[in-house]
Amino acid sequence: MSNSPRLVGRRAYRPHWPVNSARVFKRRRWPGTKRSVLKLSGRYNPKTLRREMVLTDKKPMFWSVGLAALLLLPMGVASERFFTMFGIICIYAAINVMWTLIIGTAGLQSFATLATVGVGAYGAGYLSVTYGLPWPFMLLVGAVLGGLLGWIISLPARRLDGLYYALLTLGLSEFMRNFVTQSDELGGKFNGALFGVGRIIPADLLTSRLGQSLLYLTAFIALLIALVVYRWVNGGRTGLLLRAAATSKEDEAFSSALGIDFNKERTRVFIIASAVLGFLGAFYATYIGGTSLQIFSLELLLLLLAMIVIGGLGRAEGAVVGTVIVVGITQWFTDWGPWRIVLVGVLALASVLFTRNGLFGLKAQIEEIRDRRKALHRAGITSRFAEYLPQQAPEVHDKSEIVGRVFERSLRERLRSWISPELLAEHEAKPLGQHSDRLERMLNYFRKAPIPDKYVVYCEVPFESYRVVALSGLPGVPPRIVDDKKYATLDEAYHAVFLRRVNDLRAN
Amino acid sequence: MIEVLISALVLASIYGLVAIGISFTWASIGMLNLAQGFIFTAGGYTAWLYAQYAEGWGLEGAVLSVGVLVFGMLGSALAGLFVGAIAFLPLQDRDNFRTRSLIATLAISLVGTQVWLILFGPQNKPLPPVFGEGRLEIGSAGISYQQVGTIIVASLMLALVILWMRSSRRGLQMRAMMMNPLGAAVVGVSVRSTGMRVLAISGALTGLSSVLLAQVFFVSPTSGVQPLTTGLIISLAGGLGSIPGTVIAAGVIGLAEALTARYLQQSLVPFVLFAIVVVILIFRPRGLGGLLEDVRE
Repeated sequence: MSNSPRLVGRRAYRPHWPVNSARVFKRRRWPGTKRSVLKLSGRYNPKTLRREMVLTDKKPMFWSVGLAALLLLPMGVASERFFTMFGIICIYAAINVMWTLIIGTAGLQSFATLATVGVGAYGAGYLSVTYGLPWPFMLLVGAVLGGLLGWIISLPARRLDGLYYALLTLGLSEFMRNFVTQSDELGGKFNGALFGVGRIIPADLLTSRLGQSLLYLTAFIALLIALVVYRWVNGGRTGLLLRAAATSKEDEAFSSALGIDFNKERTRVFIIASAVLGFLGAFYATYIGGTSLQIFSLELLLLLLAMIVIGGLGRAEGAVVGTVIVVGITQWFTDWGPWRIVLVGVLALASVLFTRNGLFGLKAQIEEIRDRRKALHRAGITSRFAEYLPQQAPEVHDKSEIVGRVFERSLRERLRSWISPELLAEHEAKPLGQHSDRLERMLNYFRKAPIPDKYVVYCEVPFESYRVVALSGLPGVPPRIVDDKKYATLDEAYHAVFLRRVNDLRAN
Repeated sequence: MIEVLISALVLASIYGLVAIGISFTWASIGMLNLAQGFIFTAGGYTAWLYAQYAEGWGLEGAVLSVGVLVFGMLGSALAGLFVGAIAFLPLQDRDNFRTRSLIATLAISLVGTQVWLILFGPQNKPLPPVFGEGRLEIGSAGISYQQVGTIIVASLMLALVILWMRSSRRGLQMRAMMMNPLGAAVVGVSVRSTGMRVLAISGALTGLSSVLLAQVFFVSPTSGVQPLTTGLIISLAGGLGSIPGTVIAAGVIGLAEALTARYLQQSLVPFVLFAIVVVILIFRPRGLGGLLEDVRE
């Protein structure tokens, strides 16, 4: 949709600013890569003709504003409720961004996300509780465990397609939960929950506002890490090709013809995403200082899925905004009890039933509906003014000419409907002088007729004989005589000309 | 040994019913019904409600038992129709139907759990014993009536459904849709009404398994999760759409679960099941039945 040419009148606003054209423009790039920081292009302003710079891709603008709001809002409000809510938003958003990488970029419909997160959380948490592992190593252990699990569960992905894989991985969380419940070390105490995991921010600092802010900052950094990984994988060469290949089977064959081992690349993306998920799990454990079986529950998995679906499947911004919406509902309206989950579910259902791809697919969808309406409208016009439409008259270069023709046609139609015996009688009675409104308008129209073939009165003998002739419109070519009728007075001749013009108007 | 076999059969018949429901729905209308857990719980709660009223009316014995079974199936069939009305009918002719209906059914199961929580509270609800209490002595091993009843009722119901599908006009329509949905639509099988019928029947099978499982466990808002995941695994291993494959897979999985629980460790059950399914899928990516190699695409 976004690739189709935009129609006139739907030009998107793009930020632009004047530049000093004498100076050479140097494009900024991310260090070590050829990737430009901002997608800029130069042009001459069509109105002022000054040189200016246009921001072609507005996404970085929205991202920076959104992320800044996400960072500063809880720090500004500094209430505990805000810190809790936004901390959860950051962590879940990071998880969802990685899940988007798996679903969208790798094209693997995997539900093993929370299982991976949980393995990272339990593995790192267990080591921390039992052996007092410091937090940097916990994060590392989480990443390693996640990557390992990712590697294991990516094995069947090579052979299975689409929904079969989805089914297989859906069971994984439940199995992990069973395992934790029934294992002696983890499940025996406190119903599978782990307590006392080492934390990044020292516990005695946590009661202060500074400590809370710092803790929140770590969650925000986790989100940033996820986003950077997403950008790095998704925006890179493999991501590009995988996204192209994920759309259909034929493209898969095409990409392998280009020398891309589709399954290998896919697995690689999956393992990277799983490692980050494991890392996030370990981070989550240090963030809340423990972990519980809730992380393996189907309900949480479905909530995360609802976030992605509401935001728009396969887009990082959809994952983040969907998370903000859903966590906002579930954390803010805590006194609604189960009803808030119902609300989230209904939202997800609505976005599946009524939108093509969640919140961020809405724009394309609305534009398409609008295009369809416009096409219908245009088809309606076509039936009325068939030969004068832009599509129908491609040979006419000046489009205002077409508009003029359409106007002319409708004007003639209106004038034709006014022709009546009374009107003719009025003109016969008094060809010159003041007329009724309709007659006046009709005469005005006749007057501005083009010169070629325009009827005029020719005076043979003044005050005795007049005839009606038609001008040739060419210099040196005399007018042609229309008929052999002669009129004694000028008024009669005027009326004869009028009648001829009315006749012509009637004819077409 | 006999005890292990019997418990394997019980597990197989309960989860197999759920698996056949999932497999059946997928094969005929191309929808992965992950709201099967919701449908499962719906049957359990309907049966519980009936049991509550029936005790008030003074019903006892066989009438009560048969009523519990029938109402469980009825409630689940209705829930199946409800799921169809939300996730199948509106989406059926839209693009990307499979993913969207999958997400829709997941959303239904998310909402469903909460609705049960609001309606019935988090407490476990027990169902009256359908098959009576007592044991059958075979040699040295004792088998409870409940186990025997579960196996018999589940196999009977499955046989009935298969017979009906083989012999009736409606069954023919469904089989036609399982073989080739487009071809079936071309020769005049209504995709919509047949699809809803399929959902109702899979729902009824799930409802039966719900009542049967509730003989051992209780009905609770989240009691559908475990049968759903096991059912998924079985239908996957059996090959989606193949009833013989699913039956065999149910047997294999049930046996594996019973054996692992008996001779190894209960905590290893998930891993053994998962490993079995992965091995099956690596050698036969379309499952044991594997008849849908090229049909659905």
